[in-house]
Amino acid sequence: MKKLRFSALLVMFTWVSFTSGQDLDFRASAREVVSVGDQFRLIYSINGQASGFRAPIIKNFSILAGPSQSTSTSMQIINNQVSRSVEYSFTYVLQATSEGTFTIPPASVNVDGKSYQSNPVTIRVVKGSAPASPGAQQQQSQPQGGEITAKDLFVKASVNKSNPYQGEQVIITYKIYTRIPVAEYSITRTPSTAGFWSQDLIKDNTKLNQYRETVDGNEYVVAEIKKEALFAQKSGNLTIEPLEMDVVAQVQRKASRRGFNDPFFDSFFNDSFFGSTYQNIKKTLRSNQLNINVKPLPSTNRPSEFTGAVGNFSISSSIDRDQLKANEAMTLKFTITGKGNIKLVEKPNLVFPSDFEVYDPRISDNISASPTGVSGSRTFEYLIIPRNPGDFTIKSSRFAFFDIETGTYKTLNSPDFRIKVEKGNGNEANVVAGGTNKEDFKYIGTDIRFIKTSPLKLRPVNSYFISRPLFPLWLVIPPVLLAAFMLIWRNELRKRNNLALMRNRKATRVARKRLKAAEQYLKQKNQDAFWAEVSNALWGYISDKFNIPGSTLSMDSVNQALKNKNVKDELIAQFITALNNCEFARFAPGDKSQAMDKLYREAIEVITNTEQQLK
Amino acid sequence: MKLKTALVIVFAGFYLTLSANPQADYEKANKAYMAGFYENAISIYERILENGIAAPDLYYNLGNAYFKIDDIPSAILNYERALKLDPGNEDYEYNLSVANNKIVDKIDVLPELFYIRWWKSLKRLLSPDGWAKTALLTFTLIFITVAIFLLSSRMWARKMIFSFGILLLLINLISGIIAWQTYREAKDQKTAIIFTPTLPVKSSPDESSIDLFVIHEGLKVTVIDKIGEWQEIRIANGSKGWIKAGQIKPI
Repeated sequence: MKKLRFSALLVMFTWVSFTSGQDLDFRASAREVVSVGDQFRLIYSINGQASGFRAPIIKNFSILAGPSQSTSTSMQIINNQVSRSVEYSFTYVLQATSEGTFTIPPASVNVDGKSYQSNPVTIRVVKGSAPASPGAQQQQSQPQGGEITAKDLFVKASVNKSNPYQGEQVIITYKIYTRIPVAEYSITRTPSTAGFWSQDLIKDNTKLNQYRETVDGNEYVVAEIKKEALFAQKSGNLTIEPLEMDVVAQVQRKASRRGFNDPFFDSFFNDSFFGSTYQNIKKTLRSNQLNINVKPLPSTNRPSEFTGAVGNFSISSSIDRDQLKANEAMTLKFTITGKGNIKLVEKPNLVFPSDFEVYDPRISDNISASPTGVSGSRTFEYLIIPRNPGDFTIKSSRFAFFDIETGTYKTLNSPDFRIKVEKGNGNEANVVAGGTNKEDFKYIGTDIRFIKTSPLKLRPVNSYFISRPLFPLWLVIPPVLLAAFMLIWRNELRKRNNLALMRNRKATRVARKRLKAAEQYLKQKNQDAFWAEVSNALWGYISDKFNIPGSTLSMDSVNQALKNKNVKDELIAQFITALNNCEFARFAPGDKSQAMDKLYREAIEVITNTEQQLK
Repeated sequence: MKLKTALVIVFAGFYLTLSANPQADYEKANKAYMAGFYENAISIYERILENGIAAPDLYYNLGNAYFKIDDIPSAILNYERALKLDPGNEDYEYNLSVANNKIVDKIDVLPELFYIRWWKSLKRLLSPDGWAKTALLTFTLIFITVAIFLLSSRMWARKMIFSFGILLLLINLISGIIAWQTYREAKDQKTAIIFTPTLPVKSSPDESSIDLFVIHEGLKVTVIDKIGEWQEIRIANGSKGWIKAGQIKPI
């Protein structure tokens, strides 16, 4: 509301010269051209005692405030003539919302019972475009009073280097140039720095760096309101959008102009109702757009360890001890110090012995952002626990960076560390679960296995054993060989086939034949022939079976032969008895017809039993 | 640096003076490999193969050399060829699996029925020639057994010889079938390796047909049909499609 009251005040001052004696004039006034988003005033004023203000229908604009009515009265006495003037005004604060040309229809008002109409107001709304030059913004319409021009107040962005290397530090400074006092300011839009990693260099906004500078013959007070260190993450043409800020400036009325001493933060604006010589004007400023052409880092001679550090660095590394017991912890510190994009420095590629348990490093930064740039150090602190005793070496690691000053890559080496790990003092069980010192077998790398070097067994490509003639040939050979073998074998058998074998096979059959013949003789009662047949059957069976020539046959030889074939003694005795009986009956005189039948059965039984036992 | 140039000259010399003795060439190539001159090793190995002779170890070393220069499809092709001659060799299979890990396509292999798996692992026990020789040996043994069976008269001996003969017959049948199968597979060269970096597989042998899927170099495929310059292939997950011949090399 302060603003409104203030504007009402303005109106009063402005229109005070009208007198009531003059013709009534009901006028609407506003800026003719506004940009989208701008706030502006629409003022209906009449130099008479007005009542019944009927507002116009305001479309296409949003009414932020109003109508607010204000009255001013003044009396003048000139040459004894008293003139009195009354001034009524109705003020809207509008905001343009869309582009185009719009007409606000007239408003009407009653003065002394008569209706008056104001003039319609045509307002052109243009796009809120970026100004062509710094500070050349559309200005806040101030129908009366002081105006702020681009010459009085502007913001300028500048870089210390417009053609940096990728990763090189670029300092961008936003300065506000002013010739009028500035009560306050606020940055409404910080430019996005896509493609950059940025670091604010001014932390404390209350201590601005101020100095005087002469531009085009005008002396300005300059303040650095924002300073950033930028590190380009990619090469190419990168654009930094303008910064936008709102400034509340204090404009002196021309009537009582006085020099300014310290325009900044002269916040003690004399706000008393009358007698003020300043007015607060809010103004939106935009800085210029910046183009930065980022050069890529040279690809030649780039060390493999290079991970993007650009600037000027030095490294140092240290271990807290080089002699310890297994399962005790030690720390290794690796510090990179210097000026540049230190926050983007990656952890060094330290190679630890595989038996060491190494935890991810703790990264601590000690980075100071001063107006001259970013510098500091980054420390990687590794916690290392050797698990097994022995002598180990932590190999030196290399750190590479691009040196801006010389335009070359530089590689720094950290020293080797020799570490002697002694046996732990017996309480590993507390450390290693389960009390064993066994470790899981693990692969460290993967590669193909080595080539073979034994002599080659070369053979033609695409020739297979199965397709060679040898294969079918071999398929034929074994059956042919077998058939031939069997034939030859049989012939040989037949040739060598002594009677023994034949007789052996035929012994039983022959014996049976003889016994059958004997049976015939038995029926014919032919005693002599019967005894001869039975005797032959028995003797012949033994002779054939055991291949004993008839000349050597005797009771003893029969006994012996049967014994050799493991025939039971009982059966042997039976066999011998049968033979004896047979011989006796054959050669003894007298009628032996009763014995014939018995002996015949005996002979059959003996031969059958012997045959069974011999099998 | 000087040493290296000297070595290059030495190996260039090796290359020029390839002798007629493949074994000597092979040793030279191995030396080149050990010194890190993989290209030279490859050219010597390939020269030996140009004579129409091969050995599993030769293919294996060549595959290793290709692997070292990051020519993964060629490495896979040669490992597969080595495995064809010497199936089941553990080193070959290991390096093949390492190389297969580097190719683009990761295809889930269609699970096979247990008896097909058994049959396939049985086939890998011996080389095609090994199976052929086993078949012949058992065939011969069967006839010897028959002869012994006929000659023996003892009952228990005959029983044992008979069982042994049946066992031999079984082995003979299996090895004979496997020998024939592996021989056919090797001769037909039905499997092949893709050599085009990215290869769309078409739905029919026609340039304008729909792309079914895309495969990449180093993948092993099975060729199941041929029409003109087109080949129908099947990949490990069972998907089929048509590609132009000449984009693959048979194993």
